[in-house]
Amino acid sequence: MQHEFRYAGETYDVLLERTPKIWTFANHCAHPREDGRIRIYFEDGSKAWAHVAKVGDVWWVHHSGRIYTLERIEAGASSDEHHGGLVAPMPGVVLEVLVTAGESVEAGQTLMVLEAMKMEHRIVASEDGTVTSVHFNAGDRVEQGANLLDVEAAE
Amino acid sequence: MIQRVLVANRGEIACRILRACREAGLSSVAIYAENDREGMFRELADESVLLEGDTIAETYLNGAAIIQAAKETGADAIHPGFGFLSERAEFAQAVMDAGLIWIGPSPQAIEQMGDKMSARQIMKAAGVPVIPGVEIEEEDESLAMEAIRNAAKETGYPLLLKATAGGGGKGMRVVNVPGELENGAQSARREALAAFGDGRVYVEKLLMKSKHVEVQVLADTHGRCIHLGERECSVQRRHQKVFEEAPCSTMTPSLRERMGQAAVAAAQAVDYVGAGTVEFLLAEDESFYFLEMNTRIQVEHPVTEMITGVDLVREQLRIANGEPMSVNELNIRGHSIEVRLYAEDATNNFLPAIGPLAVFRPPTGPGIRLDTGVREGDEVTPHYDPMLAKLIVFAPTREEALQRMRRALDEFVVLGTTTNIGFLRDLCDVPEVISGDTYTSMIDDLYPNGYQFTPRTEDLDVALMTAAVAETTGMHRTTVASSQGSVGIASPFQTLNRRYP
Repeated sequence: MQHEFRYAGETYDVLLERTPKIWTFANHCAHPREDGRIRIYFEDGSKAWAHVAKVGDVWWVHHSGRIYTLERIEAGASSDEHHGGLVAPMPGVVLEVLVTAGESVEAGQTLMVLEAMKMEHRIVASEDGTVTSVHFNAGDRVEQGANLLDVEAAE
Repeated sequence: MIQRVLVANRGEIACRILRACREAGLSSVAIYAENDREGMFRELADESVLLEGDTIAETYLNGAAIIQAAKETGADAIHPGFGFLSERAEFAQAVMDAGLIWIGPSPQAIEQMGDKMSARQIMKAAGVPVIPGVEIEEEDESLAMEAIRNAAKETGYPLLLKATAGGGGKGMRVVNVPGELENGAQSARREALAAFGDGRVYVEKLLMKSKHVEVQVLADTHGRCIHLGERECSVQRRHQKVFEEAPCSTMTPSLRERMGQAAVAAAQAVDYVGAGTVEFLLAEDESFYFLEMNTRIQVEHPVTEMITGVDLVREQLRIANGEPMSVNELNIRGHSIEVRLYAEDATNNFLPAIGPLAVFRPPTGPGIRLDTGVREGDEVTPHYDPMLAKLIVFAPTREEALQRMRRALDEFVVLGTTTNIGFLRDLCDVPEVISGDTYTSMIDDLYPNGYQFTPRTEDLDVALMTAAVAETTGMHRTTVASSQGSVGIASPFQTLNRRYP
């Protein structure tokens, strides 16, 4: 599973590897709990807790007495390589469609919400423009890479 | 006899006072503005009264409406807390004129101490040492500048310009060399005028490496006026205290007695009644100078409570009720430290922050006290002071208190709003803080280019992994929808010219 975050102006790629119950990254392991905490296991056998909460697009992480605010860069929200089309980052179900064809939208506006692999994905406009077509309705299943909607950039 | 107390304040100090009322068996009334409808302090009062209006002038500063609320709810006393109306002599007078008990000193005492000029004169007359300085009475811009230039020649450099009517660091400027005087004086006057409607300033010699040491006093209506030892509040950012402790690390019994006697003399000079604080600058040679007297309960009062065993708010209630104070011989034991948790970005010149308290988990355990007015799920708004909580620790020695504070700060989890917790934690490791050689300009000296935090690579890796795992496993279903936006939103605090207690 790959994610991209922004912290203090820098962009970080995180490629998580999964074993049955544990996620690993940079030789650390993590086991999520139901109460908003994550158990961290280090290579040397020591352990720690991390607290986590999401506000807007930002993950707030408390670890070892410090707070890190990591802004998630939405996957699939980039329109550059799809000529204005916005595609599903992975197979899933459309939870909500927030715009209709003909509607003008602003950069950063949420257009659609998908659920895939127990995750919610917000499909956001990458630039100001007009929605030219919406290809799915709430409840529809979508395949990875499916073109969800088209946005024509404003001049 | 006081039966029912109206608390004319909000947030943390309102909670503190309302709890004291409950403990004393008194019923209580809170007042609140619409944007405080969900405030924790409301829940701690037996009854609460909405003050209509969008500005603090219509709500927490609206003396007439507050007195009316007291009348309508059958309150027989008003506790002002700190800030807001606590040091407005005319409000104290209006409360008394309405036949209510004012939990505080007389309007005359508030007035005499409120104006820095008159306070200086009274202190000089009472034999309390004051900092060499010159009062600038001229209102006219060019005449005032001329007077400031002459005063500067008298005091020498570095010097401090302060607003006559000021407090909380507003209208205050440090001038290191003659070349900075013109600009400093103009901006001090401008800021003083904007904040207090009074552009008068005074010029005083800046004592280098001095400590801010204040003495708690308590006076009842039975002729007893005592001091409860000192607090040191030297660690300040932008002239506001962030780290306070009692006792002062360099205090000696004989110096405590001399400063205590000076504080008592200051209080007696204005026939003081109730709890008050006399602030001094303590120079390296053990000479000390009167700064000002705060005629109210103070933010950092808990550290004195911890080391003396005296409940200052309960004593305020007792004294206002005409009873003698219940304090015996001064008996100081152990060490207490308080830090002020602010919603602010220490890495961006301490700019106030707003946001949701998505997670708010304070530390617990031995020797920990938390005075706060917020809880998890609350929203930090730009309407009021950004102080979220006061974290107070108590331990047998200063060293152990500092260890306890480090542990407590490491345990404190606040997510959703930027706070100064990391900055406070770093302060606990500063050599001057460890040794006790703190002084008022220490933070500026430590971080001449501003405080910065650079995480260790391995810690940032853990944070990134945590966020990625949380995202992947759907922990964001607990997402907080914030009406205030997230990080990066410009805070409007800086333009509000609020006066901090």
